[in-house]
Order: sequence, then structure tokens, then C-alpha cells
Amino acid sequence: MIGLLSYAVFFSTVASILAIAVLGLNLQWGFTGLFNGGVVAFFGAGAYGTLILGGTPQADHLGGFGLIYPLALAGGAVAAGLLAWVVGVLTLRLRQDYLAIATFGIAVTFENVMRNAEALSGGAKGFRGFERPLRGLFGDGFAYNLFFFCLVLLLLVAVYLFLERLVRSPFGRLLRAIREDEDAARSLGKAPARVRLVSFITGSAIIGIAGGLYATFYAFVSPQDVLPTLTFQIWAMLIVGGAGNNRGAVFGAFLIWGAWTASGWALSRFAPVEAQLYTGSIQYILIGSIIVAMLLWRPQGLLPERLVLSQSGQPVKPRQQGA
Amino acid sequence: MTDQTFRRAGRLSLALALATTALTGAAFAQDCTTKIGAVLPTSVDWGKPIAETAQFVVDQVNEAGGVQGCKIEMVLRDTQVDPKVGVDAAKALVDLDGVQVLIGAVSSGVSMPILTSVTVPAGVAQFSCCSSSGAFTTLAKEGKTNGLWFRTFATSNVQAVVGAKVAVDQGYKSVAVLYKNDDWGQDIGKLVAEHLAAQGVTVTATIAINDGQPSYRAEVTEAVAGQPEAIYLALYPTEGISVVREWLSLGGTQNMILANSLKSDEFRDAVGLQYLGSAHGTDTSSPRVESADAFVARYKERFNSEPNGPGLSNSYDATMVALLAMEAAGKDAKGADIAAAVARVTDPAGTPVTADAAGFAAARDVLAGGGSVLYQGATGNVRFDANGDVSAPAVIWSFTESGTKEDSYITLEEVDALTGAGN
Amino acid sequence: MIQNLADGILVGSVLSLGAIGLTLVMHMLRFANFSHAELLSIGAYAALVFDGVFAAILPPLADRIGPLSMTWALVLALVVAVAVTGASALVIDRLVFRRVRAKGSELSMVFASFGVAMIVRNVTGLVFGLGTQLYSKDIVFAVVVSRDPMLLIKPDQVFVLVATLLVMVALHLVLSRTTLGFALRAVAENPVLAQVNGVNLARMIALVWVVGGGLAAIAGVFYGLTNQISPMIGRDLVLPVFAATIVGGIGSVYGAALGGFIVGIAANVALAVLPSGYSPSVPFLIILAVLLVRPNGLFGEARA
Repeated sequence: MIGLLSYAVFFSTVASILAIAVLGLNLQWGFTGLFNGGVVAFFGAGAYGTLILGGTPQADHLGGFGLIYPLALAGGAVAAGLLAWVVGVLTLRLRQDYLAIATFGIAVTFENVMRNAEALSGGAKGFRGFERPLRGLFGDGFAYNLFFFCLVLLLLVAVYLFLERLVRSPFGRLLRAIREDEDAARSLGKAPARVRLVSFITGSAIIGIAGGLYATFYAFVSPQDVLPTLTFQIWAMLIVGGAGNNRGAVFGAFLIWGAWTASGWALSRFAPVEAQLYTGSIQYILIGSIIVAMLLWRPQGLLPERLVLSQSGQPVKPRQQGA
Repeated sequence: MTDQTFRRAGRLSLALALATTALTGAAFAQDCTTKIGAVLPTSVDWGKPIAETAQFVVDQVNEAGGVQGCKIEMVLRDTQVDPKVGVDAAKALVDLDGVQVLIGAVSSGVSMPILTSVTVPAGVAQFSCCSSSGAFTTLAKEGKTNGLWFRTFATSNVQAVVGAKVAVDQGYKSVAVLYKNDDWGQDIGKLVAEHLAAQGVTVTATIAINDGQPSYRAEVTEAVAGQPEAIYLALYPTEGISVVREWLSLGGTQNMILANSLKSDEFRDAVGLQYLGSAHGTDTSSPRVESADAFVARYKERFNSEPNGPGLSNSYDATMVALLAMEAAGKDAKGADIAAAVARVTDPAGTPVTADAAGFAAARDVLAGGGSVLYQGATGNVRFDANGDVSAPAVIWSFTESGTKEDSYITLEEVDALTGAGN
Repeated sequence: MIQNLADGILVGSVLSLGAIGLTLVMHMLRFANFSHAELLSIGAYAALVFDGVFAAILPPLADRIGPLSMTWALVLALVVAVAVTGASALVIDRLVFRRVRAKGSELSMVFASFGVAMIVRNVTGLVFGLGTQLYSKDIVFAVVVSRDPMLLIKPDQVFVLVATLLVMVALHLVLSRTTLGFALRAVAENPVLAQVNGVNLARMIALVWVVGGGLAAIAGVFYGLTNQISPMIGRDLVLPVFAATIVGGIGSVYGAALGGFIVGIAANVALAVLPSGYSPSVPFLIILAVLLVRPNGLFGEARA
């Protein structure tokens, strides 16, 4: 029983961290219509940034600034935001599918740099983390995981509330206006490019926080953590959960991560012994099928965007995503 | 009830008792099951054989009557080479299945977060076949592994130094180094280049080979341009095949020095034995005792091929040492007890036991009598230092029709001398 | 340098074939199909199976053609593979994409295609094993074309290049000279208008899948011929093929053809400048550079 609880806390911690990243992406895609195909670069910038800033001195690569944890985590978010600023200035004027591949390329390049630039990131062998915050107080076991889960949950709720408030604010309306009709927004004297950049940076910084928490939790980050798979996972969470809906984003994160891990667990438990060696491939087939099935069943996501009527009168047509 | 029936009943029970003993405890093994966990990348080409080998050990041990009379069940989870997925699988194994021993993972990037966030906090012993990152040694030195971490992967330095020795022995003046661009490859590539340079061999190029690239033509062209007398390859079979076929077709030399990851039938068959005549491989090795062939013999019976492929021998040893330590630690032992018992099964002064079912049965008798054993594993006399690292003798091998043959043997002392000289 | 250039053109021809199919599908169906590279994999494995079948039925077919490692059995198998892959593309569309298209947005399609790619890749791995396979184990040696500057070229690659160019010319003729080609282009430009003019949309979509699948099969076999076959072909080729498509501009067949060569050349030449560890980033740096100058790719048109 205690085992189940311990696992549940652990699972929820990772799912919540991923949910924060999904929320960040939702701001970019769901509310602004920016196809960020390089989620993992910003996640990685947050992860590496946090560990570099908060770590103890390292012999063979950058790091060891030993900042206190909240500052290190904030620094990770800033690192992700800075990267987003540079990337955004370069690419945000591109059309959706071109933007996707350009940002994707930036993520691949980011992974490449982390893998090769040993002096910066420790190279392929990875980057050692620091002692997890307040470990002295909670020890190493279940109590600590529970504490860390509470911390992550707190941040998840904070990000959720922040975004809910943001999308209901005039700025949020502006985001949707630009997403729906950029020319109309421009004719009203708004600066779409600038607004989009702000949204992109904010979303990326949120993704960076998720990365920082992830690296703190594992006390380690390596190039294997920043492979394109993660971008795909986070996107799948958003699309299945429901783009444009923050509750859908969180729900999608738990659902997809649950399906991802539960499929492996179920196979290890129920597949016959002879099939055990093939379960890796079978698990991928299961995950792929689940995603396809969800999209066949509810292509708009489980919790689709709730359309806010600013003006009564015209019935609102469902939004066409895409160009 | 008559005398007769009594006597008959007595005879029957005696016969039963005898039969049970003859079955070397197999009958008891059915009564209980002990679970161990394994997190290995079964969905990856080189990962699946590693998992197969681990399962092979478990089958052998069960055949020998299991651990502490209990059947071992290895619960296997795929890591997808994704740290998140591997860590979650490990956590589920520890929390939901209550395993005290975890085999895995392969990549350092997966093993490390498992170690720091799952096994060390839960006090579970972790045995990895192949994680080569130096970060583990650092972590252990800082006392943060609580002695729960073991890897049967002899440090890459042994192979690197022997690789350089091959170049010198063969009289190569210049060598190009091609390495897999991961933690293991970066490490061994750098070490080889250093040792070669220290021996006065010119390194014409050190070229990183990334996984999963559509073509390695450009990398190979770069290596060819330096016109080296030989190439050193620290690659896995899939990329190795692609690179070497490209290399040969561009007229590159057939003088090759191969790390043990290319000791693979797949590689030999796809490249062709006719081109591998002057290819010399390096590997860590078993000591020179007859019993050390046990692993190879049993492996051939089971899989109809030699245990050639990255990490297979290491995986065998990791799993076997784990199960031996479980046997030594006693019934219902916790991870920490099992980790502590590793010393008793890898004791240089202990009774030598072979790497097969018979070896496990022999070890059980010795351990039951309070003695200690020296496990003579597939990769050698597995000898962990205080940081859970292992050192081993080495061999130089070459390809044959049926597999590989050993050309020369380098003892642990010679290896130590070489590494000392190389540094 | 001249060697890198030649290598790039030869490697790029496979990417071009993949990219042409992808650009047609992306243009017509308006979604980024991440499972397109899996069609190359299906083609390569289909040819592997039928190569074996034909060689077994008629052993003389297994003889090599001239200096190539290509055999007549493989040529026949290639024809079958084109059909099999075209059919597979159709079946996947019927099972998944058509249904998602009916209800969902472009992005649902994109992620459905991720799911499809995952399924195809791992089913292939289960059926054929995770290891590497080859059409022919013989190593065909490169021919020295010139010693100074050094230029080595493999006969197989020249064959692949010539065959690719022929396929492209044939496709060009179909698109520019036939009613079918006009209909295809009309649908891509404006599906509604095309339907008004009596073009059967469903049939055109089917046609695009068959053509895209067929080209992918040829690309897959050529890739297998010059490199190797593994279930990970799709994973390894999806990004370069995308890069080629984007560089050329989505919807432009000629752009895709050129894009393939650009990506191939860049990946080969870049190593002369960058350490080899950075090679996976090279195609993307090119995309970025092209898009900064031409935001719709080289031949792409702005689309509202």
C-alpha cells in the first residue's frame, strides 16, 4: 500500500512537471497560434541553466555558482526565456509549418551542443546535479518525494492561475485576436510581432521552469533528456488534452504520461514470458495506437477550447487550427 | 493399519526425500518466487540482446534451484533510452513490485537518474552492465551511492590502452579514430587518442559518429583524407557496418582496431570476413582457467551463436553477481544487505566458481557453509573497487568463420603496467 | 572539397525522391506528415522480401547487373515494392488520416502521423528484427575518377542518381503535360474550385498517396542499396527529408528535388568546417539560413 502511494507521488511529480511544460506550450500554441517545434530546447535550457547556476563547482565543465535554489530555478527560466528571445526574433515571422521545423532544428542543434561542448555541459556523459533543496530536512525517502511533489504542485497551480488570469486579461484577448486575424489586430494599432514575441518568451520561460524542476528532481541532466521525443510527448499531451484550454493541458499531461508508463507496466505484468523481450516494441505500438485512437475519437482534444463570447450576436464557429 | 503398510509408507517417503535431494532443490523452487527488476532498452537493436542475456542468467539460476530456494522472476521494463521512462519504470519496480535488486540501465543518462532518485533513496542495489560515465565514480567517491551501485563495465581505459598497444605491435604509424558520439564513445575515443599519441603514433583524425544519421559518407571521407595506416573504431554494429562498408568502398585500409562493441556476428557478416583479415579487436577477458569457458559454452547452446555483441558478457556478469549476492545475503535480504554481500561473491581469496548453473549451485554450497566465493565471470574475475568499478585482464581477438578467436592474452598486471605507462 | 560536393549530390538524390512525395502530400492535404519517411522503410523492406522471393524462384535473377550491386531480382522487387508501398499509403489514409481529416484540424493530423510512424516503425522491428540488413553483402568499390583533386565515386550511387533524375523527369512530364497532372495541381491550389470544375477530390487524394508512396518506395530501396536497411530508416530519414521539403518550399516539386540536393551537399560540405559531432544540426542550420532569406522556402508561395 505504501508502495502504491510512494509510486503515485513519484508519478504525479513527473506528470506535474510535464504539465507545467504543457501549459507553457499552450500559451504559445493554444492562445497565440505559434507552432513551437523545439519545446525540448527551452526545457533543456531551463534544466542545464538551473544545474549550472545552483551546482557545486565542477572540475571539467561550467557550473558551480552555488546559487540558492529559488534563484537557480529562476535563472533556468531566464535562460530559457533568453534563448526564446533570440529564437523568436529570428523565426516568429515564419509561417506555421516553417516555424515548426525551424524551431525543431534549433532543438536538435541545442542537443548537439550539449552533447559535444564538454566544457559547457559535460558532453554526452551528462551534468551532475546538486543536492536536492531541503534534503537535510526531509531525508532521502518518501517524505522528501512528498515534499518535492507539493513544491511542484504549488508551482503548477501558480502557473495555471497565472495563465488563466493572463488569457482573460486584455493581453489575452489581444493574443486571440492576433491568432484569429492578424491584419484586423494590426488595423487596430496593435503590434502583432511584439505581442507574439512576448507570448513566445513567456511560454518558453514556463517550459524552462519545468526543465529546471525536472533536473532538480533527478539531480542529473544529459543530452538524452533533450531528445526530440520530449517535444513530441509534450505536444501529444496538449493536443489530446485540448489546445487552448489550460485544464485540458494539465489533464492531457497526466493522461498521456499515464498511458506511456502504464502500457509498459501492464506489459511487464501481463505479457507472457516469451513475449517479454518484445514488449519494448509492443509498448511503442500501444502508445502510438492510443494517440491515434484519441485523435480519431476526439480530434479537438478531450477538453476543447471554451470559446469566450465578447460580443453577443453571431454564433461562434469552431476555430480552424492552422493556417 | 498393518506393519506392511507402515513399511511401505516409510519406503515411499524415503524415496520421495531422495528424489527431492536429487532435484537439487528444484522442487522447493516452485514454492516461492522472488522478483528482481530489470530496466533495459529492449526496443533498441543493441539493447534487446542485453536483456536476453540477463534473462538467460535468471533461467540458469532457476535451473540450479533458484536463490534461497526461491524461483527468480525478472520483471523486465523497456527504457526506450528515455531517462524519464527508465526512471519511472525503475520506480514502479521498486514501489509496486518491491524488488530489492535492479538490473540496468545501459546508458549512463538513464542509469544516473535512476540511481539518484530511485535506488539510493529506496536502498535498492543497482547493477548496470554498461554505463560507463565517470560521473558514477565521482558520485561514489562522495559517498552518495551508499555502496548500492555496481557496474560490470571495466573502465574504458583498459581497452583504450590495449588498442594503442595493438597499433604499436602492428607497426602502424598513423591511425584515425572513429567513435560513437555518446558517453562511452567520447570517453574511449579521447583515451585511445591520448594513448596512441603517447606511444608515438600519429592520430590523423578523431571523428565523432552520431547515431542514426542517414549517411556516414562525409565522416568517412574526412577519415580517408588523412590516409591513415589504420583506423580505430569504437562503434556499435549498426553504425559500424555502415561506416566500415563505406570506408572499404572508398579504398580505405583494411587495418582496423576494433573495440569490443564490434565483436559482433552481425558486423562480421555484413562487412564480410574477407575484409576483416587485418582487423584486431580488444576486449576485457576471463582469467586463464578452463572453467571460464563455461559461459561461452552455455551461451552457444542457448543462442546458437557466440556471445558477441556490445555488453552481452557485461550483462551476464551484472545479473549473475546480483543473484549470487542475493544468495549470499540470505532470505528476504534488503538491497543494502545484497550490496554488502557482493564482496563475498567477488572475493579474490574465495572459492572460484564458474559462470553457469553449476557455478551458481557450487557457490550456494560454499556460501551456505559461511565461505566466500570468487565469481569467474564472462568478463573476467569480476573485481569491484570501493566505487563499484571493475578492472579486468584483456585480450586481443580477431574474426573467424564461426565467430572470433583469441590472439593474445594480457594479464591484469600487464594491463595495470600499460595503463600506468600510458598515463 | 570536390569529393564532398559529389558525395552530397549522390546522397541528396535519395532525399529528393522522399521530399517530392512529402511535398505533394503536404501541399494537397495541408499537414506535416511525420510518417512519410516510414513509407521509405516499408518500400525498402517490401523490396527485401520480394528480392528474396524472385531470387529463389529464378536464381539467374540474383546475378549482379554490370558493376552495380543491383540485381534483376531487386529491379523486379522494386516494382512490386512501389505497388506495395503505394497501397500501404492508401490503407493508412483510409484507416487513420481520412477519419482524422473529417473531424479534426491540421494539428490532429500531424500528431496522428506521429502515432502512425511509431506503429509502423515498431511493427517493422517486430516482424523483421531490430538489426541491420542488406540487399547485397558484396562491397562495391568506388571508382577513382580523378586523383588530384581526389574524387571517388561508387557505381551504385551514379545509378541511383541517374534513376532519380529519370523518375523526376517522368513526374515532371505527368504533372505538366497530362490532364491528370493539371487536375492534381488544381486540387492542390484550390480544392473547392477544383471540385466545382468536376475534379474528383477523393480520387486525387488517393492518387497523391499512391504517387508519394511509390516515390518513397524507390527512395527507400535506393537508400537500402547505398546504405543499409533497418527499422529505423524512417527515424533517421524523416528530418533530412523534411529539411529538403522546407528548403524547397512546400508544394514545389522542383523545390523539393533541389532541396534534397542542397541538404545532401550541405551535410557533406559542412564537415569540412564543423566537427563531425555537430553533423545532425547541419540540415537545420541550412533551413534556418534559407528561411531567414526566403520565408517561404526557395520555391514556395505564400499561402494565406
